[in-house]
Amino acid sequence: MITRRRLKLRETLLGWQFSGIYLLYAAIFWGYPFVWMLILAFSKWNYFGSPRFIGFRNFTHMMQDSIFWRVFLNTMNFMAYFIPMVITAAFLFALALMKVRIFRTFFTLSFLVAYVSSGVGYSILFSNLFSETGPVNNLIYKFTGKTIPWFSDPQLALFSIALMVTWKFVGYYGLILFAGLQAIPKSLYEAAELDGANNWVKFWKITLPLVNPALTTVLVFAINLTFGIFTEPYMITGGGPMRRTLTFMMYMYTTAFQRMKPSYASTLAIATGLMSYGLVVLVRKLIEREVSLT
Amino acid sequence: MRRKKKISISLIILHIVMGVLSIIWIYPYVWLLLSSFKPSEEIFTRTIPTRLTIDHYKFILIMAGKMERPFVRALFNSIFISFTVTFSVVISSAFIGYALSRLEFKGRNAIVNFIIFQMLFPGFMFIVPLFVLIRALGLINTYSAVILPSLISAWGVFMFTQSYKSIPRDYIEAAKLDGANTFWIIMRLMMPLTRSTASIVGLFTFIGIWDNFMWPLIVIRDYNKMPLAVLLASFNHEYSSYVGPLLAASVIQTIPMVIIFLILRKYFLQGISLSLK
Repeated sequence: MITRRRLKLRETLLGWQFSGIYLLYAAIFWGYPFVWMLILAFSKWNYFGSPRFIGFRNFTHMMQDSIFWRVFLNTMNFMAYFIPMVITAAFLFALALMKVRIFRTFFTLSFLVAYVSSGVGYSILFSNLFSETGPVNNLIYKFTGKTIPWFSDPQLALFSIALMVTWKFVGYYGLILFAGLQAIPKSLYEAAELDGANNWVKFWKITLPLVNPALTTVLVFAINLTFGIFTEPYMITGGGPMRRTLTFMMYMYTTAFQRMKPSYASTLAIATGLMSYGLVVLVRKLIEREVSLT
Repeated sequence: MRRKKKISISLIILHIVMGVLSIIWIYPYVWLLLSSFKPSEEIFTRTIPTRLTIDHYKFILIMAGKMERPFVRALFNSIFISFTVTFSVVISSAFIGYALSRLEFKGRNAIVNFIIFQMLFPGFMFIVPLFVLIRALGLINTYSAVILPSLISAWGVFMFTQSYKSIPRDYIEAAKLDGANTFWIIMRLMMPLTRSTASIVGLFTFIGIWDNFMWPLIVIRDYNKMPLAVLLASFNHEYSSYVGPLLAASVIQTIPMVIIFLILRKYFLQGISLSLK
């Protein structure tokens, strides 16, 4: 009995030793900044002296900030380009991968290797690839006699960034969907065929409902990614032309470290976090379905 | 018979389309690699260069150092930072995950719930207040500023906690009866059994920290301490007309991630629960 209790005590001590390290670390590098984030969001501060409490004034200021609304529209605009594009492409990629008999690994890797490109490196690569004299415009010029101002036209710049982010993520998202497709039992399709269902019906009645968890995952990833975009516009457009590629991250960065308003930047960060979280919850409510195969 | 033939034709077309798309998808990489070896005047004018040159690499590795842009040093900075963080995250997650999944103690579930709660908050929310902390600690412009905030990862701990649950208790009891201590159990028994989790946590941590741009951009201003991504960005900012050297530097920055990915691709695919041959 005594040894048992001693063993139990030792286990508790050991458990708290490991957890204690984690909790101490989290207190310093997560808890402390968390409190500061809340303090800053409700005060006025410029890195010197102590923050002055101003209540909700940062938030009311944000509501009247025209740049904030510009960034908000940019983000919505980006999502309107990016999400349909990446989801459709990834879905087609996953469906094709199901059908493919040979070279499956080659196809997978050539799409997936884009995912491990580094943010700075691929921004430089694409800004040259799509530049006025770059190979893409050379090709277009040969056929149409015109060039496309990919990154310098206000409306096109955001689309071009959405295009390169799609290039990067199609393979990754496609494989998540592919894993979802593979989990669907073949017997369901065979049963449907016996009932005389065609491919169209099989897709809408079996594939789409059963791939729902994977689809939700990909959508959530894409939403979170949209709100966190920084490197591409920072490197290629600097937020321009006409602030049309300014993202929340870029606005937060310039507010905190160039215009020296860390308090307002914290407010922006909280607002951005809440918006992305809200959108994820909304998407989950709208499209997520319980899937059971019984 | 006819039907079968029709299907095989559409299959051939599918393979051709996928082949063409795959080539389009790798094309940017090929262009980048090829262009970094082209003479400057041919980068935008010729698809197939008349001759290959390593001038751009020489420029970026030797000349740029004299222009106060020490790329060799930045490369070693990146390697040092990435390996330190990856090593620390994998080891700490393995130990803390063991405690949270295989040791019984009061408060355990509360800690697991706290970790899940932490993961709800995206990292960008902490950038400004974390800067305040690092500044208060006097760590601006040091390697610690980049390394310390990433040493332990809630996500890594969570991944290990989940995967350890699948290991039968008997294994651990047997090891204990043989006199194994906790350190031995984790390093020699648990880690090898969850090799794919360790690889996934390692791979994603490495890619994340190698590719991390915004945070080191904020805390490091000294060219000698910059990781590759930040130095490359600053070089691009000031010398954007040096296309050849920029592309060569982009190759240098991208290649380690591609190589590590190709080595660990099996685990990466397992991470998205896939078994491809």
